[in-house]
Amino acid sequence: MRRLLFRFLILTGLLLAPAMAWAQAGPQRSERIEAELVAMSRWAAPGSTAVVAIRQDIQPGWHTYWRNPGDSGGATTLNWTLPTGVRAGEIVWPLPERQRLQGLVNYGYEGKVYLPVPVEIPADARPGSTLPLSVKALFLVCSAEMCVPDELTLNMDLPIREGAAPRDSAHGAAIARVLEQAPRPAGITARATLDNGVLTLTATGGPLAGKDPGAGYFFPYAAGTIDHAAAQTGSWGPNGLTLVLGAGGKVLAGGLTGPVSGVLATSEGAFEITAEPGPVLPGATGSGDLAALPDAAPAAQAPGTGWAVFAQAMAFALLGGLILNLMPCVFPILAMKAAALAASAHNARRSRMDGLAFLAGVLVTFLVLAGVLLGLRAAGEAIGWGFQLQSPPVTAGLAVLMLAVALNLSGVFHVGAGLQGAGSGPLARLPGGIGAFFTGALAVIVAAPCTAPFMAFALGAALLMPWPMALAVFLMLGLGLALPYVLVSLSPRLLARLPRPGAWMERLKGLLAFPMYGAALWLAWVFSRQTGADALGLLFVAGLLAAAGLWLVGAGQGQQALGRRGVIHATAGLVLLVLAGGALTLAVRAPVEAAADPSGPGAAAWSAPAVEAALAQGRPVLVNFTADWCVTCKINERTALGAPGVKRAMEQTNAVYLVGDWTRRDDAITAELQRRGRSGVPLYLLYRPGQAEPEVLPQLLTEGVVVEALTRR
Amino acid sequence: MIRLTVAALAVLALAACQQPAAAPEKAEAPAPAAAPGAMPMAGQAAPAFTLVDAEGAPRSLADYRGKVVVLEWTNEGCPYVKKHYSGAMQALQREAVEDGVVWLSVISSAPGTQGYVTGDDARGWKARTGANSTHLLLDPTGQVGKLYGARTTPDMRIIDREGRLVYVGGIDDKPTTDTADLQGATNFVRRALDDLASGNPMRTAFATPYGCSVKYAETAET
Repeated sequence: MRRLLFRFLILTGLLLAPAMAWAQAGPQRSERIEAELVAMSRWAAPGSTAVVAIRQDIQPGWHTYWRNPGDSGGATTLNWTLPTGVRAGEIVWPLPERQRLQGLVNYGYEGKVYLPVPVEIPADARPGSTLPLSVKALFLVCSAEMCVPDELTLNMDLPIREGAAPRDSAHGAAIARVLEQAPRPAGITARATLDNGVLTLTATGGPLAGKDPGAGYFFPYAAGTIDHAAAQTGSWGPNGLTLVLGAGGKVLAGGLTGPVSGVLATSEGAFEITAEPGPVLPGATGSGDLAALPDAAPAAQAPGTGWAVFAQAMAFALLGGLILNLMPCVFPILAMKAAALAASAHNARRSRMDGLAFLAGVLVTFLVLAGVLLGLRAAGEAIGWGFQLQSPPVTAGLAVLMLAVALNLSGVFHVGAGLQGAGSGPLARLPGGIGAFFTGALAVIVAAPCTAPFMAFALGAALLMPWPMALAVFLMLGLGLALPYVLVSLSPRLLARLPRPGAWMERLKGLLAFPMYGAALWLAWVFSRQTGADALGLLFVAGLLAAAGLWLVGAGQGQQALGRRGVIHATAGLVLLVLAGGALTLAVRAPVEAAADPSGPGAAAWSAPAVEAALAQGRPVLVNFTADWCVTCKINERTALGAPGVKRAMEQTNAVYLVGDWTRRDDAITAELQRRGRSGVPLYLLYRPGQAEPEVLPQLLTEGVVVEALTRR
Repeated sequence: MIRLTVAALAVLALAACQQPAAAPEKAEAPAPAAAPGAMPMAGQAAPAFTLVDAEGAPRSLADYRGKVVVLEWTNEGCPYVKKHYSGAMQALQREAVEDGVVWLSVISSAPGTQGYVTGDDARGWKARTGANSTHLLLDPTGQVGKLYGARTTPDMRIIDREGRLVYVGGIDDKPTTDTADLQGATNFVRRALDDLASGNPMRTAFATPYGCSVKYAETAET
């Protein structure tokens, strides 16, 4: 009975197949797409798995979609009609291209593409026969302007023969290549970590271990997992790579509830991965940045915009550097430089040399800082501009150095006295322009944590550029900072207008010492915020010892000026200085106390959920990203944010005030700054209920600016 | 010396004075402006807006405070929209409006793109599509679409009586253009309106929107 039925089926199959094939085999067309069902091999053996493919030839300007279409569109779907016993598997999706249109990103294909499908041939298929395969393919074909669902029924007759089949001459090689390159599992372990709306994907092992994967991009299988349009940045390490993704709507709404599957595309190939929710995997960062995987979409304009952004960043960097001279952070250094300028004003050659040495100091320091910054970022550290002052040892060291410079300006001791007799200059008067060079270096180290208007954009843009361009932007910033002094010191006419050196200079130096004392005190305060009262005490001891040591050294210099040797003074001074160094080391090593509450009345600590919670209550949110070492931030807080008018306006509008304190390293804040295209503080954001994006307030605030922004609807 | 420093500072200050107001905005502009923006999610306040309807009357979201509002991004040329306008969408609109819901259909297509309508074309839209929505709102600049992060047509939002978003995303769970798929699909909008009416917690607050891309104006890369 069963055999009879089987024979009947074969018979009907034999009768029907040629008729269907006759009617519909070969390519089918719509206005937008030509499609055809083709086989990889000339025939298929009974009991084997054959590969057929949907060949698409898409008209220019149109595209079809991957299994996850991205922000819009729909995947190609296949509906098979097959002889008994023949089973079609899932489409083996080739790596898609990314198509950007008006802020959306689609995953799909353009031009010619094959979608291979494995087909199981039953063992009882009769050699010499053909199997009629038929598929109703629904292509959603879209252009930038419109979408059209094109349904095409594709047919083919697959010959059955024993033995290994040679490749189909027309399509075999192309289909084999697609299969070979198609993303597949490769023994990669992956984890997905959701934090503050950021989805961090770490993948290690398999082909990822031990080499630079070049570029990296993750194509999720499910929509709503990631923000398709967001840039994917990442880094790689000895075991694998890390990708930072914007979370998609589903994850933002419901959290990370299960594994995240998709295709990880790298320059070394594309792999299928499934990332379980969990902590990030070790060794997946630290060796370098991943390049961005190029969009398949016409990249012709990309270099153009790149250069435009670069030019803009350079211009803003120069301007930002110039304006940096006006920011409160640079004030103490301004004093040092002013003293130096006054001293050398009437020696054109010396002042020219000083100016250039100062410029060199500024540029070299900028280069070093930028290099360290870029290097650490490449190593996967989440740091931003001003990072050097996030380290307590650096703050403590600078505090003592500032004290020394101030004592020098006060005339307690002289630098280079032994070489030039009773040398009268401050640090900036070291021989051979070395002093000027270090003044420049100091200016950058102390001033750089502040960002000035224009600088923010330049820095933010620079960090996304290839490193040579980024360094160029940093150099431009330095040039801007140094430019006023260089111009003055290079212009004999300006110098000639300065009064002749005399007693007034000593008085000026004495006066200018006080900003330096202030800088030392400020740094000590920052240090206390970073560590605690005990550490601050030790820092004070170090400062006291250093001051006493330098006073003794100065006394020794006085003895030498009188023709005596002054060895005792000098030795005692040096001993005290060494002791000061010891106290400094102890201060830095003192245990860190728990972080203090964010400053400011009614302030709560910033976090992305806190912003959202407040907005959900319909309250505006003012976010202040600040750091204790950022003088501009502190001045804004005193004069504008803490002003009574602002307080009133906040009460009136029922606004929530959130403070993101970046005094110590905080990766969430670094990430948020980065999201706003910034790499440093201050940053002021005003969220209004009902507006998706916050308003960015200026970096120099006044009471009026804040009140006006708060009360404006 | 002091005179010089003061003079130099004054020049720089003059240069700087114009910055704080103009510069940061200019500098910040490129990133957020181009993209449809972050998608405000359920629980967040619905962004306020005012748009002109097909008859030329301005309509503000604020006008409907105290009522449940459905926003529907639409584009009559889109095959996904056509699938739902085979009768299902009109029926849902009628049911909702009968229950006192304000249904606002929004067209964010830019001039010259698919779905863009003005004048008689806009006035005839209702008759042509058989829609039962309260108003058809015209958003040719795409501003409101981007405010809500609307990505596709259809893309749905439901706003409760207090002006909060309670549902964001796709209309149902069958992302296809095939009318046959309307049978057996879970319509998230109907479900959310039922939940709102009965005072139950939302069973679904977000579903990935699907459909054609919203035909926003080409954004100049500034």
